[in-house]
Amino acid sequence: MRLTLRALISHGRVARRIGLGPESRINILRNILTGLVRHERIETTRARADEVRFYAEKLIDYAKKGDTNEKSMKMADFWLTEKDLIPKLFKVLAVRFENQRDGCTRMARIPNRENLDRASMAVLEYKGNPFPPLFPMKRVSELNLLNQLLKAYREEKAQMCCVWLVDA
Amino acid sequence: MFLVHTPLSNMAACTSRVREMMGLLRILRHFPQNERLLSTSILRHAAASDGPPKFTPPTKPVIIDKTQKEASLRRFLSPEFIPPRQRTNPVKFSVERKDMIQRRKVLNIPEFYVGSILAVAMTDPHVNGNLNRFVGICIQRSGKGLGATFILRNVVDGQGVEICYELYNPRMRKIEVLKLEKRLDDNLMYLRDALPEYSSFNFDMQPVHYEITGDVPVSPLKVKMKPKPWSKRWERPKFNIKGIRFDLCLTLEMMEHAQKWAEPWRPYDMLKEYDTFSLEEQIFKEVQGKSQNVNSP
Repeated sequence: MRLTLRALISHGRVARRIGLGPESRINILRNILTGLVRHERIETTRARADEVRFYAEKLIDYAKKGDTNEKSMKMADFWLTEKDLIPKLFKVLAVRFENQRDGCTRMARIPNRENLDRASMAVLEYKGNPFPPLFPMKRVSELNLLNQLLKAYREEKAQMCCVWLVDA
Repeated sequence: MFLVHTPLSNMAACTSRVREMMGLLRILRHFPQNERLLSTSILRHAAASDGPPKFTPPTKPVIIDKTQKEASLRRFLSPEFIPPRQRTNPVKFSVERKDMIQRRKVLNIPEFYVGSILAVAMTDPHVNGNLNRFVGICIQRSGKGLGATFILRNVVDGQGVEICYELYNPRMRKIEVLKLEKRLDDNLMYLRDALPEYSSFNFDMQPVHYEITGDVPVSPLKVKMKPKPWSKRWERPKFNIKGIRFDLCLTLEMMEHAQKWAEPWRPYDMLKEYDTFSLEEQIFKEVQGKSQNVNSP
């Protein structure tokens, strides 16, 4: 038995430990990625979402190379377990992100899961999806009572200033 | 047509004819297009004859092959120039590269691969002539930057010897490539468990001529191994070894058992990919530019 520290010290390791082992980790991420490509917005635990984010962006990079590219096709074939999503990847998602270099995904944190484990959850989505935005734009309405009162106050103050300038 | 084999029986005739040929050679050297046709056998015969005064052969003509254009020359970037995938500041790598190029201007580090046979001379205070020479096959090239190393293996008096040399060690005097070739693998550590005939090379081996254009010859040699146990389980797919004759030492069952450790998802794991294509281009241009700055006065 080789007693190395290599297994204990994790300096520079970029892959998180998910599931039962390396094969299990890849299978879990593959399932999540397939779900993401199908539904374009997915809810998982924070760690898994962070891992899948990298693979999702790399998959889009491969898809951008075109479906005639052998390597891209093999990658898509491996990562997408539901084969009807392969044409969707190449014809919809790759076209959507044609002009963007990177930043195809967005991750948002969510309150913890209701289960006993209280896991920290996150939402992972591809940008440009048809759902309502995760971070809705706050539009300030002028017709609120408070805004109307403030508007009137600002106008009065402006009038007072003009009167004061004319007087002096 | 200029080859002359002088019979060594007649000493006087030999030296006079040699002197004639020397004169002819000196005249011919002024016509550079004939240099390639000149043979150096005359010079060797001259050196063999021991007549006073001691004859020192003139320097051999340097044949610069200007027919080949620069584009067809083999582009080689030494692997220690390519920085690893790290979180360090790229300034560190550029400064190191500058130092490496500076050292290369002083010491000629030739192009070599794992599987080529090298002769290395280091300064050593404990050796008579101060120079410690070792000949061996390169089994591994590791390390990046100034700490780049290569391991030479040879069998000396029945004992296998491996020496790890640093390319940029200031004690390094000379690195010459006796035979440039590639093997089927990037790492020949399995030679430790192979029969000793595959690692033994003569110390007085003469350099074999190699082309500066075209591809490096890949030797399809498959090595026969000593019986198991080996230092590492070379049949496992993680080593991905193609240069061993497994059919002679392992059964089909053992090969299939080894495939249990195959990770079929490995080639699809994008996290493990490190694309160095653009980096290589950039660094190659930089290195070429800087090394040519000194060459052109």
